[in-house]
Amino acid sequence: MTSRSGMKEASSKETLLNAAVLHWMHGLAAQGIVTTDNKLNVVQWNHWMEQHTGKRASEVTGKNLLELFPELTERRLHRNYKWALEGQVRVLSQALHNYLIAMPALSGEHDYAQMQQAVRISPLSHEGRVIGTLTIIEDVTERVAREAKLHAQIEERSRLLSSEKLARNEAERANRLKDEFLATISHELRNPLNAILGWAHMMRVGKLNESNTERAVETIYRNAKSQSQLIADLLDVSRIISGKLRLDVRTVDLLSIVNAAIDSIRPAADAKGIRLQTTLDPAAGPLSGDADRLQQIVWNLLSNAVKFTPKGGHISVKLQRGASHVEIVVSDSGLGISKEFLPYVFDRFRQADASTTRTHGGLGLGLSIVHQLVDLHGGSVTVQSEGEGKGATFTISLPVMGVVSNQNEVEVAHPVPSENVLSFDGLPSLQGLKVLVVDDEADTRELIGQVLKECGSEVITTCSAAEALVAIEQHKPDILISDLAMPDEDGYSLISKIRALPSERGGQIPAAALTAYARAEDRMRVLRSGFQFHLPKPVDSAELVTVVASLAGRAYNS
Amino acid sequence: MKLTERQSDALSELINIAFARTGAALSELTGHRVMLNPPEVAVYRTEELRGALAKFVPGDVASIHQVFAGPIAGDALLLLNYDGAVQLTELLTDGGHKPSSFLDESAREVLTEVGNILLNACLGMFGNLLNVHVTFSVPRLHIETLDELIDSTMTGKAEMHYALVIYTAFQIRDSSVRGFLVIVLSVASLDRLIQEVDAWEAQQGT
Repeated sequence: MTSRSGMKEASSKETLLNAAVLHWMHGLAAQGIVTTDNKLNVVQWNHWMEQHTGKRASEVTGKNLLELFPELTERRLHRNYKWALEGQVRVLSQALHNYLIAMPALSGEHDYAQMQQAVRISPLSHEGRVIGTLTIIEDVTERVAREAKLHAQIEERSRLLSSEKLARNEAERANRLKDEFLATISHELRNPLNAILGWAHMMRVGKLNESNTERAVETIYRNAKSQSQLIADLLDVSRIISGKLRLDVRTVDLLSIVNAAIDSIRPAADAKGIRLQTTLDPAAGPLSGDADRLQQIVWNLLSNAVKFTPKGGHISVKLQRGASHVEIVVSDSGLGISKEFLPYVFDRFRQADASTTRTHGGLGLGLSIVHQLVDLHGGSVTVQSEGEGKGATFTISLPVMGVVSNQNEVEVAHPVPSENVLSFDGLPSLQGLKVLVVDDEADTRELIGQVLKECGSEVITTCSAAEALVAIEQHKPDILISDLAMPDEDGYSLISKIRALPSERGGQIPAAALTAYARAEDRMRVLRSGFQFHLPKPVDSAELVTVVASLAGRAYNS
Repeated sequence: MKLTERQSDALSELINIAFARTGAALSELTGHRVMLNPPEVAVYRTEELRGALAKFVPGDVASIHQVFAGPIAGDALLLLNYDGAVQLTELLTDGGHKPSSFLDESAREVLTEVGNILLNACLGMFGNLLNVHVTFSVPRLHIETLDELIDSTMTGKAEMHYALVIYTAFQIRDSSVRGFLVIVLSVASLDRLIQEVDAWEAQQGT
């Protein structure tokens, strides 16, 4: 009696609970829940499914699931129901299927139009018999989007890590090359310096007789000159690397440029007993180009030829005009170039081998500069050699095009810098001029002062911009020569302060800037900032005097 | 209990049918040709399982676990070492070589589906062979050490159990991922299975 009523009670409790579970599944579950009978006709379709598919339970119950959603069959997912009816539980992952039943994704921070789903399809069995299926669908869109974001972050981080590692390797490699190059430079700069220091020391102690003194001065001059060339090459390379090299293109006479280069190399060739043979077509020029740079090209090729041609050899220079271009051909009977090295001849910092480097010195920059400069002129440079010991031939081809004769550009080839140390013959007199020289380096200050005094001018020197401003008001100089790079206040700042002064206090003083940055773009900045002239360092005495005279409005007194 | 060479061969052949089915299903699912190496089968007492698997799966183990019940009952597991699990999901989902590989929830789902397909194929084949209806639990994925895995699988099993260990490897896109199928059975279930295998083998011979 009691047990029967107890059982009845328990059974009614269970029925109530089952009803509550069904109610929960229908109305409250946060997943899609679908049950079918063993014919796959829909029995239950919960509220979640109604919400996300837009199909009401009343529309779908009793209808066949595969007929309601023919896409299931098209996507071959219907087999999962077949297997479920055979008793298998099936898992459908989002990564491999994306979704079971297409539903729009809820809006959120993701790029999915379709809701991404994780699905379980299970058989529903009773007494060992499958009587239906249960499908549970979970919305995993947010999770999948979050994972994708996380993966992207990790990938980005590792990409950064590896690119940082690459950059570090590259930097280390560059650093190593720089170290090697610095070692070469130091060596090359020290060689001439040793001679300069050695002879200068002997001169200071006064142990030299007259002929030795002459030799000392000659040696010091030659070495300083060679060092100056090294530095000019380095500056050129640095400009070429940074793309800052500009050409001052004018109408130039190639013949006089080649002649000037030959003249300047002749002493070196003579000294080695090398015969210089020239075949120069006078009809070769004029063409458009940068006279200084063209001369540098020819000079580099010639000095290279002299360097690599043994005593008693010969070098030939040809200048010939073609239909659309001019060719400069420099051949020598020198060391020649091996086939292996031929492709690298124009590379920066390359010399055929270490032992040759020792024998011949130099930074290995000359030909690289030639190549770049010829390129800038729109021309080409080629090299031929039959092999080691068989000489080499360099051919430069420059286009002849649109040479416009311009009255304002009568300045043809620049004069070759004089090889003489200090020759004031033919220079204008600076008599009666008062020149203010501003430079923080005492040696430069003194050298310039000395040159100017030799030409008759009165010289005031100061070592800073501040002192210069005082001197201008005190001494009322006629001309200002100022260095640009100075500690505290540089030359640009000085000139802008001066230009701000009224003219009676020196605001209009003609001025020239001194700088080691000696190219067109530097010159532009110098001129824009208020200087009238630009004097490249190292200062050429003749140029200095000429500039000062020109600033003072005086002409050559030749 | 040891399998005779004939029994072992017959069992391998049967499982290979299930493997072929699994390979075909995975190929269709992923668009890549997936093959499973012919199985190598061995039977261990569950106490020996630890030692038998330890040398193959050091470190964390990913297992897909389904319990099955009916006239034969037990636990079916697919075991992969962690790196293998990561590699397998990447190969199956075109994940490529991710810089930092780990099993996120989506990857775990993929593994669960792969394990589910393989276990269904094998157990389904056994069910057919024995002509019995076997029901399955929903597959679960666990990542734990081998010891933890064995301990949790053995919990609540008082009587002696045997483990059918099936060694194979997934071949996908020039890569190979090694794995184990472990089917833990009671002595009675294993006896019944082997009887049926013998019968099947005898049938093949005639």
